Amino acid sequence: MATDRPERKISVESGDGFWRGQFLAMASPCEVLCETDAAEEARRLTELAAAEAWRIEDKFSRYQQGNIVDRINEAAGAAVEVDTETSQLIDFSVTLYELSAGRFDITSGVLRRAWRFDGSGNFPSAALIEKVMRDVGWDQVTWEAPVLQMRPGMQIDFGGIGKEYAVDRAAMLVRQASRASCLLNFGGDLVAIRPPRNQETWKVGVETVDASSSNAEKLLNLAVGALATSGDARRYLVNNGIRYSHILDPKTGWPVSDAPRSITVAADTCTQAGMLSTLAMLEGARAEAFLDAQQVRYWCNRGVTGPAAEAAKIA
Amino acid sequence: MRHGMLTAGLILLGTISGCSSMGVEPWERDILAKEEMQLTTDPIEATTDDHIYFSKEASSGGRGFGGGGCGCN
Amino acid sequence: MKMSERRSITGALAAATCTLLGTSSPEPVQAQEEPGWDFNTALLYYGEDNDRVQDLSLNVLARRTFTDDRFLTLGLTFDTLTGATPNGALPQSVPQTFTQPSGRRTYTTAPGDFPIDDTFRDSRVALTAAWQQPLGRLSTINLGLSASGEFDYTHLGLNAKISRDFNNRNTTLSAGLAFAMDDLDPVGGTPIGLTPMRNADNDDDDDEGGNRGPTESKDILDFVFGVTQVISRNLLMQVNYSYSDSSGYLSDPYKILSAVDAVTGDVVPITQMPGIDGPSHLNYYELRPDSRRKHSLYTQAKYYMDGKVLDASYRYMTDDWEIDSHTLELRFRWPLSDSRYLEPHLRFYTQSAAEFYRPSLIDGDPLPEYASADYRLGDFDAITAGMKYGWKTGGGNDVSVRLELYKQSGNVSSSQLIGNQLNRDSYPDLNAIIFQFAYRFGM
Repeated sequence: MATDRPERKISVESGDGFWRGQFLAMASPCEVLCETDAAEEARRLTELAAAEAWRIEDKFSRYQQGNIVDRINEAAGAAVEVDTETSQLIDFSVTLYELSAGRFDITSGVLRRAWRFDGSGNFPSAALIEKVMRDVGWDQVTWEAPVLQMRPGMQIDFGGIGKEYAVDRAAMLVRQASRASCLLNFGGDLVAIRPPRNQETWKVGVETVDASSSNAEKLLNLAVGALATSGDARRYLVNNGIRYSHILDPKTGWPVSDAPRSITVAADTCTQAGMLSTLAMLEGARAEAFLDAQQVRYWCNRGVTGPAAEAAKIA
Repeated sequence: MRHGMLTAGLILLGTISGCSSMGVEPWERDILAKEEMQLTTDPIEATTDDHIYFSKEASSGGRGFGGGGCGCN
Repeated sequence: MKMSERRSITGALAAATCTLLGTSSPEPVQAQEEPGWDFNTALLYYGEDNDRVQDLSLNVLARRTFTDDRFLTLGLTFDTLTGATPNGALPQSVPQTFTQPSGRRTYTTAPGDFPIDDTFRDSRVALTAAWQQPLGRLSTINLGLSASGEFDYTHLGLNAKISRDFNNRNTTLSAGLAFAMDDLDPVGGTPIGLTPMRNADNDDDDDEGGNRGPTESKDILDFVFGVTQVISRNLLMQVNYSYSDSSGYLSDPYKILSAVDAVTGDVVPITQMPGIDGPSHLNYYELRPDSRRKHSLYTQAKYYMDGKVLDASYRYMTDDWEIDSHTLELRFRWPLSDSRYLEPHLRFYTQSAAEFYRPSLIDGDPLPEYASADYRLGDFDAITAGMKYGWKTGGGNDVSVRLELYKQSGNVSSSQLIGNQLNRDSYPDLNAIIFQFAYRFGM
């Protein structure tokens, strides 16, 4: 399954007052912006970040054979003992499962057997969804760290937190390895390590449509901390005039309706930001209300032609 | 007459501010946050209208300050 | 069970993240929107019928957003006024000649017409600046400056407003104070109230003397106390009480009253010496009290229903000139699509006359303490009906056009009319159109 893995290489080029290191990981373009005079240091830090991203991808991608996720998913009902890092990720997922009253669930990946998000109106049959839903639900898993056991047919998938976890981990390593100001961007999930010396903050563009601005794009100043974005305006389904996001609700087996096109959340770590934006997406029409209650800074894009008015009505 | 009005005004203020059960939770502000739900939706229209009516009528202010600024009255 | 129940998961999530990443306390996030400018611009045409006042006005309001919810707002208005305005004298069955305010020439009004001073011409530049910032977590302070200049009038004002949120930010109390110092320097000097209109001297010297005084001034002190209350998810209300105290020269230097015969009600002719250019009839400059105290109560409600918004406001004003007024305003914002809307607007206004308002002075009677025939101090009703159409451009900017009709119709009490006045118009009704084009954009 890992046959079409892209070549693992990094490139470093000079930007406007900083070095830009680039590589591909987790199916996303990743970059490391380093404010340093030495190209050598930029290359070293990019290599460090890329190595960590690739390590996490290899270890937790559901597409790679032989890794811990593959061993769990192929265990066919047998108990699997996991290592400390996997155990910590599972514990974290369990906390999120509880905090979200079951709407964040690492066993929900099998729903992809039923749903394809290609912008079409092709809906799976209710029978198919019902069949797949029998294999969804963390409450059916026996987890007594470090041993995990689940029914044959069930699967786990860390896709919902992998990229955020990877960028936080890489940021920790880069922060320890250098005093340079750096910004890590793994496919839109960002961590700023120290503000840049020559311009106070990193400038990050965020798509938004809200009441206080006449512009669709806001420029954010990120001095330190993380931004994560959930949602994708291009991946959706339309049925009976309702637009469904590609966010699937593990409690129903259906995509969430009336979710914003995208949500960007600012938090101390990218993991926190990513979880809040994901949980907000799962709230659908009540996404903003949920984020307001969390007292975090966020930017919702419901789009100019989006269902904002309808969302307010349904909520 | 004037005292009557003042008293009525103060009673109304008291009634409104004393009613703490009214209102919404922070996450129920989606409608109130809309641009069209702001008290002054169009600041320039408000200013120009105030100016026109100030110069043509004997009343001014109310929404904000009403005093002066023009030799038209 | 909805997870958006009234609890925050922030704390639990932070703890779980610390365990996962093995970091004790990461640096708190610092993310803020890039400061930017927001421009509101508008071009306004205001035109009265019968060649009365025409005003073309350009408005720019620029708002700069700084980090930490601080704002600077700068405003610029440029007005050009032309046309004519009623001078206060009554229409007659004979031509009437008046001296221009400048005192240099005369002008003549045809029989039956409302005497209007057609030398009215002015331009006005007004500037405002305001700074707003939070004071602590719940309060906001707003400090402002205003200044404007016309060739015969200057204004300088200061204002401050503080507001504080209560009840989970559902209630906002505010208190504001404004002080304005205005100076008048009318063309040809400031007339002394209740003295006869002077003759024209046909020279171009600026002369003060006779019944002309030097520059005058007035001070205006305003207080506003307000409460804004969120009633429900779709209803918001505001109530303001305001008090305004004006003192100084409050008369209009260009307004006069006709002196009339006690029986016929006709204007009293003056026989001018040969070679002297002056008024054909006896007129007096108006005189208003030198202080005015106004109280007003303003209430506004915004109600959201299914995408549409009703904006209703009512104002009651009363003052010690015995003017009472009621203003009711309704706006209804009606979305046509996600990016276009229509907004009909209706405004009803009615006021009672000032105690010293009178259509004319009776020749031979002792002069009253104060008198004005300014139609704006009379008893009248006004209605405005308008429509606004707004849309969003592809680039996300807002455009709107509005057209409104304003109509004033007054009534002078028959007890204040004498003889032939009962058969003539005694109040100059007004019809005006308002057209505005507005464009809002960000940078």
